[in-house]
Amino acid sequence: MIQLMHVTKQYNRRPALSDVTLDIQKGEFVLLMGPSGAGKSTLLRLLIGAERPDDGQVFVNGRNVTTLKASEIPFLRRKVGTVFQDFRLLPKKSVFENVALPLLVQGVSSSDIKRKVTEALRAVGVEHKRDQLPVSLSTGEQQRVCIARAIVNGPVVLLADEPTGNLDPVLTGEIIELFKLINARGTTVVVATHDPSVMAQVNRRVVTLVRGTLMPEQRVVV
Amino acid sequence: MRTLFYLLREAWANIWTNRTTTVVAILTTAFTLACVGIFLLLYVNLRAAAGWLQEDIKIMVYLDDRVAAATVNEVEQQLRNDRAVAALHFISKEQALGEFKAQFPSESHLLEGLGQNPLPASFVVTLSPPFRSPDAVQRWAERTGRLAGVAKVDYNQDWIDALSTVIRSIELVAIGIGLVLSAAAVTIIANTIRLTLFARRDEIAILRLIGATKTFIRIPYLLEGAVLGGLGSAMSLFMLKVLYELFRQEMRTTGRFSGLEHLIMFFPLSICLVLVAVGVGLGCAGSFVSLRRFDEAKV
Ligand SMILES: Nc1ncnc2c1ncn2[C@@H]1O[C@H](COP(=O)(O)OP(=O)(O)OP(=O)(O)O)[C@@H](O)[C@H]1O
Ligand SMILES: [Mg+2]
Repeated sequence: MIQLMHVTKQYNRRPALSDVTLDIQKGEFVLLMGPSGAGKSTLLRLLIGAERPDDGQVFVNGRNVTTLKASEIPFLRRKVGTVFQDFRLLPKKSVFENVALPLLVQGVSSSDIKRKVTEALRAVGVEHKRDQLPVSLSTGEQQRVCIARAIVNGPVVLLADEPTGNLDPVLTGEIIELFKLINARGTTVVVATHDPSVMAQVNRRVVTLVRGTLMPEQRVVV
Repeated sequence: MRTLFYLLREAWANIWTNRTTTVVAILTTAFTLACVGIFLLLYVNLRAAAGWLQEDIKIMVYLDDRVAAATVNEVEQQLRNDRAVAALHFISKEQALGEFKAQFPSESHLLEGLGQNPLPASFVVTLSPPFRSPDAVQRWAERTGRLAGVAKVDYNQDWIDALSTVIRSIELVAIGIGLVLSAAAVTIIANTIRLTLFARRDEIAILRLIGATKTFIRIPYLLEGAVLGGLGSAMSLFMLKVLYELFRQEMRTTGRFSGLEHLIMFFPLSICLVLVAVGVGLGCAGSFVSLRRFDEAKV
């Protein structure tokens, strides 16, 4: 599902990722760990074509992201859901409209939008807030809306960059459970975090980056 | 359908959130385009004036003294069949002499001394409107001059040339000013759109992230530019119309140039529509410039 082959990415001649080779199978739940500045966000950005590697190849969902034309990148992103630490919701749009946005940009019909958005909101447990603005929601709820927006398309991969960075341990646990649930339905999930407490809660495959280099893997078996 | 609605609403939201900037941009664009418009109006009116003045231009086709009456008839036939000829009037040698005597009574003894009438017979030709431009007149004169039996074709060359020079220079000035000020209008609109883009950069980043195509992201801003350009252009026409009416009023009340106030004209509706469309085009060009820069900056 996700494949990186000898990927190197530099910023101003300083390597953020060096010779990273990684293979993630369909349906896996992978935790991307590493201290701040290790290159976790950079790796995720490569997967959605937001950055191009200086060297190596990146494959996502059978497509070579490295050679993808700029005009094809939107179509890749429709298959890859993204969740961020800072939520990135549109402040002036209701919860419903925010979650509907990925469908709207694809020209999905009104009735399908309504059905899919309702499903996604129900899946993350915030359907009762559908007409509110993001600011009136708690941080945990905002992150749930974000996740709903990421899954509303039925993506094959869900990427999350520090999704629990702004949340307390209880909310963190809830969000992790939500990711597990989404993963259980077949979506490949990659969560990047520097928080070791998340690792204990996830109990799945862990990939560790240190200063742009991949560490030997430790597989935690449930 | 819902998508279209969304895009329209976004464009409207952009305009509404920046209404002050928008109004300023529309007004500035309007003033800029009005400057172009004044020259255009001047040009249109001068062209029209040139048309009326040239109506009065009579072309003299002098006949060779030695030709037979049959040849004169032939020339007349040819002129009558010419699409360019609107009216034709024959002046015989005797009529020419009579006219000369009537116009210059003190000089008539000069001709009498010659014994025979030296004035040639001629046709006075008025050309039909499509053939009245200076170039066309000249071409027609050259062509007719080559007909058998025609000695000379005469018309007021200098006057026509002078007029065509004036029209051509105004045309050049109008094109020059039009280009410079259109570029200014594009810049004004581009700057306005740049502000909007900057204000909404987070939102654009989100749209990119969730798989919106470039076109989808661009449409609201192109629409905004089109509205700015279109309204600016419409507003400039409105300002010109007001100016024009005031000017006409002034002419009427002062009594100077009396009669002329009926002759000056405003742009016909079709030209107005074209000008608004040009404004829309300039507006789109303005947003396009900003969108390009924005994409390159990759905010
Ligand atoms: N756009 C950029 N321009 C220049 N340098 C960058 C850019 N993005 C990342 N970097 C650098 O690349 C390195 C890796 O950054 P990255 O954001 O991937 O780390 P991270 O593991 O996500 O860290 P964090 O846990 O703090 O989010 C850092 O040294 C960072 O300074
Ligand atoms: Mg990061």
